[in-house]
Amino acid sequence: MSETPTTPAESTPRTTPRAAGKSVPIFSIGRVHTIASSTVTQLVRMKTFYFLLAFALVVVAVGNFNIPATPAKELSMIKKVAFGTMDIFAWLFAIVATALLIPKDVEDRTLYTILAKPVRRIEYLLGKLGGVLAVIAISLVAMYAICAAVIFSRESLFVSAEYQSMVASGQYTGAEIEEQLSLIRSQGLRAELGIAVLASFFKAAVVAVVTIFLSTFASSSLFTIIVSVLLFLIGHAHHMASSFWLDESGNSVLVQMLVKVVKVLIPNYQLFSFSEGIVQGEAVVAALVWQMGGLTSGYLIVFLLLSLLVFVDKEF
Amino acid sequence: MKSLFQKVPRLVIAVFGLAVFGLARAPLEEGLRERLVESNLLMPPPGQGAFEQMSQSALMGTLGGLRSLVATYLTLNAFEHFSTKSWDDLRANYLIITNLEPRDESHWVSVIWHIGINATANMEIDTRLPAFERERRFKEYAFQAIELGERGISQIPGSVAIRLQLAEVYREKLKDDCATARIYGTIIGLPGEPAYARRFYGYFMARCPGREGEAYDYLMSLYREGERQRLPTLIKEIKNLEEKLLIPSFRRISEADPDQPGKGQSPASRALPGGIIVP
Amino acid sequence: MSEPAVEVKNLTKVFSLGLRKEYVVAVDNLSFEVKAGEVYGLIGPNGSGKSTTMKVVLGLMAASKGSAKVFGLDSGDIRARNEIGFLPENPYFYKHLSGAETLRFYGKLCGLKGAALKDRIGELLKLVDLEGAANRRLAGYSKGMLQRIGLAQSLIQNPRLVILDEPTAGVDPVGSRQIRDLIMRLRDEGYTVFLCSHLLEQVQEVCDRVGIIFKGRMRREGTLDELIEIENQTSMTIENATPELIAGIHELIRSSKGARLIEEGHSRTSLEHLFIQIAERNREGES
Repeated sequence: MSETPTTPAESTPRTTPRAAGKSVPIFSIGRVHTIASSTVTQLVRMKTFYFLLAFALVVVAVGNFNIPATPAKELSMIKKVAFGTMDIFAWLFAIVATALLIPKDVEDRTLYTILAKPVRRIEYLLGKLGGVLAVIAISLVAMYAICAAVIFSRESLFVSAEYQSMVASGQYTGAEIEEQLSLIRSQGLRAELGIAVLASFFKAAVVAVVTIFLSTFASSSLFTIIVSVLLFLIGHAHHMASSFWLDESGNSVLVQMLVKVVKVLIPNYQLFSFSEGIVQGEAVVAALVWQMGGLTSGYLIVFLLLSLLVFVDKEF
Repeated sequence: MKSLFQKVPRLVIAVFGLAVFGLARAPLEEGLRERLVESNLLMPPPGQGAFEQMSQSALMGTLGGLRSLVATYLTLNAFEHFSTKSWDDLRANYLIITNLEPRDESHWVSVIWHIGINATANMEIDTRLPAFERERRFKEYAFQAIELGERGISQIPGSVAIRLQLAEVYREKLKDDCATARIYGTIIGLPGEPAYARRFYGYFMARCPGREGEAYDYLMSLYREGERQRLPTLIKEIKNLEEKLLIPSFRRISEADPDQPGKGQSPASRALPGGIIVP
Repeated sequence: MSEPAVEVKNLTKVFSLGLRKEYVVAVDNLSFEVKAGEVYGLIGPNGSGKSTTMKVVLGLMAASKGSAKVFGLDSGDIRARNEIGFLPENPYFYKHLSGAETLRFYGKLCGLKGAALKDRIGELLKLVDLEGAANRRLAGYSKGMLQRIGLAQSLIQNPRLVILDEPTAGVDPVGSRQIRDLIMRLRDEGYTVFLCSHLLEQVQEVCDRVGIIFKGRMRREGTLDELIEIENQTSMTIENATPELIAGIHELIRSSKGARLIEEGHSRTSLEHLFIQIAERNREGES
């Protein structure tokens, strides 16, 4: 390195200016994929998967509770706690991860370097959403595996214990024993529980895209998180709000108007709680699951477009 | 138009878009909600009563789509009340639980069993209370259990388990044979009906004053179904009714009264095994 | 004459402050050009509108009035961004990525893949002298290293124009010099460099042309020589001059009509050069 500063006049003669680069595709799945996989890496390296450990602890602890209840009831309770906790983890993760990602990119100016590359803003938003959804899906599958292991082990234990005690008493026919065991199995691990996981995913996906929309104009992550959680709570009271305030004539016009506005603007999250019915052992209606999938896609598309509308003009 | 688009802040346009989407999805969502509730996948909102009794955290959880979790927590809490014999707290918990998960049969069965059987039994032996108070509370709990049973049946009309538990309260605690018979009668024909339901219906009808004739005909129809139904209690109840209704001897059944083997007209070789096990 | 790399015409950028009808004019009717292949420095104090101008050129902000073009393309056009490599002031990249992963991420965003991307990453890591730290996460990088990896990412798609916002802010003199050397190298390799800085000395060392911006307006613009030359003054630096020679020079000045000696003294090194000299010497001693 030279000790004295080099002035332009002393520098070596330069080459001719560089040639123009390649053309840029209008939309590139590759760029979306790059941003999505970087988001997954980011969330993984932020050690977010540690919460799976906490989840496993909750489920294993509940699985080993000494509840004074019949085996079928105990299995039902384990299932409810496990799937309920899974549902909370999914939507809470959707809010927090999404709310942290975009504002953090703005604060850290990482967004400048990304948008200064030939990346469209819709590609960035899609990539971020895709990354969050991928992590939620991976987490849900992992949580489901933990639940399934705990439920299956308890179920096997209960079935064999019940079988042995019924046979030992000598009072029951084969059919009666089978009836009792199938009652226990009906509360155990069934294929329909997979649909309950899908229901939680639908809910988390809608929560994530709503949070993305908020974060396109919110000033901070904290604001985004608080508003998202509030919307989530209000979004569960849609039907209740109508029956309390709209159906009763005693309420003022102002209150009724307010309820109507809230209903129109805030997503109806209550609909997405249909996993509870499945966990309780109700039969799954495939057509309804498809329709809920369609509704979820509708929310994703509309909220992404609205996010883009705000984000495309946003100045950093 | 373009200049207007540029003048209006994008957020305002977004909120407008949100409203249009909201109006478009409202009827779709209402239809979906109704179908989800019909298929029992989605629970209708809890009654106002439940909200009044819920603590703030339980309320938040319920509103936040965590009904099952709140219900499970309250169930565990109810076991705690059971172990301390705090029957009123237990009942209060179950009022919320059954409001949150009205479709879960086991909640109804549990609360009827706790209040109708355990709480009443506790009143029979709880010497800390004066006899008058115990008797009063005994009745109160029994009637509360009945009311819960009726509410449970109205929520899950096809439930056999709730009816069986309710019948047990009438049978064991209130000794009301007519009501017991009525409940067993409603079980007949339901899916999952236990094999003994029809016999029990007949037995308790036989003990219900004024329904003896009807009970005799019903039990005889069971008797005619063959050996499968001719259990000791059935024979005994028919024998009792034959005496009570003064049935002419040529129409009486040939089996001996299982409690009085020598008295019957049947040959000794037809004697039934003694002792009443499962009717 | 080739197409200018950057062409800013009558650029005005107004920010509104909150809901009240108050406005701040950050850039006021600014016009300038950066020619292809030159190093252009936009200098001015903090808050003078440099970064805003840069953001408009990058398409991160829209102009309130006027236009900004990059190689003839509107700055909002995505194709323009394929021609630009950008290093923001104090860049914070994803800390969870290693140096090589950072370059891979930005390379993929530019449509590079496979062996071509791998080769380009190797080339750039060598260029910015970070081959040894390629697999270390950025969380463990020093400020100078971050700035160098930032420069490498800006070059990943082989752009024609490199935009640097305060490239040496917060970097120690050694790191600062490395970056300056890199900028020289870029110029020699035919890149057009457009940099913003408030460190005048730095700009003086590397820029072919300079624009001085103050309160959003261009105050002066020209080649470095044009800007800093004082036409009626001459300076000389003489090594090993004897007292007789100096006395002779004094005599000559006195006898020359209208000439006057203004300043005389021993040459001094700058503190910065002294610091670099010591640091380099120590580094050599260690190795």
